[in-house]
Amino acid sequence: MSLDTVTAASVGLDPHAWGDLASDEAAAGMLQIALAAVDVPGVDYADVRLIEAEELRLYSTLEAGVDERVENNLGIGVRVLYRGSWGFASLPIWDTADVSIAASRALSNARAADSVSNAYRTELPPLPAASGRYLTEVAIDPFGVSSSARYDLLAEILAAASKPAEIVMAQAGLNAKRQHRHFANTEGSVQHQHFIESGAMALVNAAGNGTMQRRSFPNSFHGNTAQAGWEYVEGLRMVEEADRIGREAVELLTAPLAPAGYADFIIGPAQMALQIHESTGHALELDRILGDEANYAGTSFITKDAAGSMKYGSPAVNITSDPTVPGTRGSFGFDDEGVPASRKPLISEGIIQNFLSTRDSAARIGAESTGAARSDGWGYLPVCFSTNVFLEPGSGSTEELEDRLGNGFYIDDNRSWSIDERRHNFQFGTEVAYEVTNGKRGRLLRGFSYGGTTPEFWQSVEAVAGPEEFKAFGMPCGKGEPKQWGFLGHGASPTLVRNVRIGVDK
Amino acid sequence: MTDITSSRTAETFAPALGGDRATDALERALQDAPADKVEAFITSRSGDFTRFAGARVHQSQAIDEVQIMVRAEVDGRVSRAASSSFGALGAAVDRACAAAAQQAKDGAAPAPLRTDLPAPGTDTVASAFDSSLLWGDDTAAWSVADHARLADRAMNEANALGGQAAGMFGRAVTEVAFHDREAHLSRYAYASEAQGSLTVRIDDGSSHWKDMSRFSNRLGAEAAVTRTLAEASRTRGRAKLEPGEYDVVLGPLAAGELLDFFGAFGFTGSALSAGFGAIANRGGELVASSLVSVHDDATSDVGLPFPFDFQGTSKRDVPMIAHGIAQSAVTDRETAYALKSESTGNFHIAREEAPHAIPMNVILRGSEPTEEELISGIENGVYLQRFWYTRTVDPVRTTITGVTRDACFMIKNGKIAYPVESMRFTMSVLDALARVDGVGRDYLSQPLMNVFNGSASAPAIRVRGFSLGTAPIAKG
Repeated sequence: MSLDTVTAASVGLDPHAWGDLASDEAAAGMLQIALAAVDVPGVDYADVRLIEAEELRLYSTLEAGVDERVENNLGIGVRVLYRGSWGFASLPIWDTADVSIAASRALSNARAADSVSNAYRTELPPLPAASGRYLTEVAIDPFGVSSSARYDLLAEILAAASKPAEIVMAQAGLNAKRQHRHFANTEGSVQHQHFIESGAMALVNAAGNGTMQRRSFPNSFHGNTAQAGWEYVEGLRMVEEADRIGREAVELLTAPLAPAGYADFIIGPAQMALQIHESTGHALELDRILGDEANYAGTSFITKDAAGSMKYGSPAVNITSDPTVPGTRGSFGFDDEGVPASRKPLISEGIIQNFLSTRDSAARIGAESTGAARSDGWGYLPVCFSTNVFLEPGSGSTEELEDRLGNGFYIDDNRSWSIDERRHNFQFGTEVAYEVTNGKRGRLLRGFSYGGTTPEFWQSVEAVAGPEEFKAFGMPCGKGEPKQWGFLGHGASPTLVRNVRIGVDK
Repeated sequence: MTDITSSRTAETFAPALGGDRATDALERALQDAPADKVEAFITSRSGDFTRFAGARVHQSQAIDEVQIMVRAEVDGRVSRAASSSFGALGAAVDRACAAAAQQAKDGAAPAPLRTDLPAPGTDTVASAFDSSLLWGDDTAAWSVADHARLADRAMNEANALGGQAAGMFGRAVTEVAFHDREAHLSRYAYASEAQGSLTVRIDDGSSHWKDMSRFSNRLGAEAAVTRTLAEASRTRGRAKLEPGEYDVVLGPLAAGELLDFFGAFGFTGSALSAGFGAIANRGGELVASSLVSVHDDATSDVGLPFPFDFQGTSKRDVPMIAHGIAQSAVTDRETAYALKSESTGNFHIAREEAPHAIPMNVILRGSEPTEEELISGIENGVYLQRFWYTRTVDPVRTTITGVTRDACFMIKNGKIAYPVESMRFTMSVLDALARVDGVGRDYLSQPLMNVFNGSASAPAIRVRGFSLGTAPIAKG
């Protein structure tokens, strides 16, 4: 196949018709070349991922103009199970010969793994072939937006965020990404997925009164990114929100310090997304539970026999993995080892039901994969990451939840986070906290933090607001050696917790 | 396609690009680029990484990555375009130039001004770099089969002790090429890299080791396996540790983790020019014990030395803290211009963030004592091998939080006494460094998070008064 055969210009306005790997048919041919190269005695299973990704990033800060970059990469990752031992190799593709070179290296690495004495031999239960196509639905192609529209929006966000004189650092950012991800395995699956993401961010730091205070929007982790077109960015109302966070950062400079002790409070969706990520998503990753990540990402306090029995949270806690929900950074049609996406309850009424698993980890406990094998492009081995994992909404508005709270706090937007390697003891700080008195939100406080253990926290959940208050966030995550990035979706409605330790970072 | 692909084979541990071919390709691609100024760099990293856990090598990986990034400037506006393929180098040049021109046409805000690169032949920092620091034939000879054998040994011996081992042994070849058309400057360097890490868990006991170097022999990986197995065994039956303030010895990995935060605490040109952080507010003051010197130094034979950054600037020894005094910030060409100084060669560009200058090869300078000698100076205290999941709480007060983990022991009368449980801590890094009264001899190096070729290297340190735990409060 020529890598120069398909260009966006030649195909028209289809937002997925760009780059060298837009053609499913041509990609399928390359996948088969790689599979043929590892069709040798001793190979029990192999899969191949052929991926092209292109990312556009623009940043602007007070001291600098527009920093713009577009990055394209195209490569292949081949995974081989040889006599029960895994091998993997990846290469950027410069020539079609690289496909066979990657396959050969993967086999060589699997043979090295096979040399270990008394090794556990992976037996992968066969999976029926699943072939298909998945496309992100996009109203406005973010790569088709005029450059002047992007520059103007960046300038407006920055100007709005930095209006107050106390703002010493401000940053605005816009991002878009598109990917062709092609997959095939020796079981006959051939899959083609074409993704598009869009996102934006604003971040300010105000200084004064002997302190520095940060505010961010829409999330404190690189802003927010959705699997969607430019319409998502437009819906964020970035300029108005930038104006708000600029003012709030200044207000925080003279805000009273949040107290220490035990308190009842409501956690907003952005902070809940992180709480879910750190203490639920990671804790339920089966590769961690089985010890595969003991040397790097860590383990889990949850045991491999917990599904169906372990009390994890209160009856108000229902947490689901569902990559079939469109529009999130954790949405897909197939995971990165070809397992079709499906909705799985992870926690139901506080009881653990399922783990996040891959085919390898699931096989080791005699279960089926829940489809959570994900990789950062072609360069890295698929490992167990969260997918689109969220807290199911309850009912009622945020105001009704504040009324139920009575006296306490409403907090949101993470400023600091830490959790132990078993995902048990955690400590989080938030950018903002509002006093709530008799159900009404009052003054702003700074330096709010809370902590405890994961089961105590989730058992303290009394109620969750309704679906109309639900917000989803795309989040980056690191795992593996060498470290790779995973991009995930988490979401929640505001959540009421009672009697949780606060003021833990003083 | 260019002939640059010709050296790629199925089994090699050698530079894949080569200096002449890489810089020639860049020079040819940039020579007629329609921009006022244009430069480009190539990074290539090819590695073998053998991960293991329990009773198998579960991730036996060969990973090759290449990025070619072009920076074009038109009428003061800047755009970058990157590709993973040499075949697309010309397209990347066109793309970067067109986008920069479009910015100028659209009236986008101009990019900040930069310091100039030295004229060819005048860079005395570059000529002083010792290139023998970069490549180890021992690393080239440390094969995937060797990694697997070592992993096999660690797992078998841990199993024999009733425990489990998990870890990674790996090596990589890094190449960086750079060309600036207007400065008539081309640079190229390649380096080897060896890494090892191991966690052994036996019952409630555990120990961890990690190190990285250009030279695999310096890891002492066989001895590290032996030591880690023994320490894991010794940490079984941990006692509860009461919250409070203790005299501590931080092992090299724990001490090294503190270095990860120097960027966040304001040892950067951007923080200095914005007027916040340690250098802006406390520059020239004693902020740490006079025994403490923390440098960003990629010219030193510790960690992962390298001669230049992605802007073509020679790296140099930057004393961020010299004998306890907050002294210098790291810069790139933009922040150096704003500060009317020279770039220190710390330009950093990574995913999901804007380019900026950060510390990249951070070293807490060692002294004479062994770790045992540091421990012998504590009557009643704690040894902490490692921190985990440390994050900034307050950059102004340089406060971080995290938990202690793995081989942590009570120290009684100058000797390791018994193992203790992990505990959360929240404390100011500079306050802790101000209470250092002993700096050890032997370094361990660890990666800096999300930093290409980044490392943090430290020996053990002794700190008088380190707060551990969250004080209990009665529940409401």
